Amino acid sequence: MGKIETNVKDALDHVRAATQELHGAISDAVAKRGGATKADLEVFAQKAKAVTESAKGSISTQHEAARKHLTEAVTDLEATQKHVAEGLKSSGQAFQTSVQKALADARASAQKVSEAVAAKRSALSKQTKK
Amino acid sequence: MHNYVAVVFDDRSKAYEGLHALWQLDDAAEVTIHGTAVVHRDPLGNFQVDTKETHPALATAVGVGVGALLGLLAGPAGAAVGAAGGAAVGAATGGMVGVTADLVRADNRDQAATETRFVLGAGQSAVIADVSEDWTSPIDTQMRKLGGIVYRRAKSDLEDDIWFDDNYFYPSYLYPYEYIPSSYPLW
Repeated sequence: MGKIETNVKDALDHVRAATQELHGAISDAVAKRGGATKADLEVFAQKAKAVTESAKGSISTQHEAARKHLTEAVTDLEATQKHVAEGLKSSGQAFQTSVQKALADARASAQKVSEAVAAKRSALSKQTKK
Repeated sequence: MHNYVAVVFDDRSKAYEGLHALWQLDDAAEVTIHGTAVVHRDPLGNFQVDTKETHPALATAVGVGVGALLGLLAGPAGAAVGAAGGAAVGAATGGMVGVTADLVRADNRDQAATETRFVLGAGQSAVIADVSEDWTSPIDTQMRKLGGIVYRRAKSDLEDDIWFDDNYFYPSYLYPYEYIPSSYPLW
């Protein structure tokens, strides 16, 4: 039992770190002089796809309390992918709008994964106290 | 319990020590931090938020959000000024927000009795955090060690406030990881 819990925790922590990194990369690019570029978006597209697959793959292994939040995070990650893809096909104001939407979606996904971590920690803490 | 926490310190360096300590508590699974920001109040009373953003439009959005949250942390009397002041001054000056919640509260002493009494004085800094915590002692103990004063409101209480506005409130302006500007090379 203990080993399973450790593995589950590792998977969720990995997804959390990946969503934080995705948000960090997009916000760094947006904040730099000149803003994000198409080359940045190519990188975000790969990162977002990898994180989405990782999050999807870990849902079934999660504590029940965390599943709902993680499922919502996947929705936000898919939205991030969508807006990054739109950005790659656009220019000018439309490009900026897509980058901003991708940033907001990445932030939302990090929030949901973090809430999944909180839900799981709380549930495990209650189990330990029993 | 899902809470919003403001920890007031007397200077910027201590605030960043506090920020680091909060994320260490997260690493230790004592609490779960969903997002943080560090806010300063200059000698003229203006609020400034440390962000990565340099684009004026983005800085405005950050100013509005933090202004609203600071007002909500100050309680019902501060919320109106926090939201309105954050929007107006944030729009005018980018990353600067002006919140005079403490002044308003001084004129509303009856209401102030039920408030959190969160006040950020001129020259002080605060760490604002969105946290899940099963008990409050880890943050309270750690912040007290660093000389911080902790103010806390439940997320559900903020949402019940008449001034709560979801458009401003969603904590996108809080970094979901430990962000320390390069001008603070403490660690």
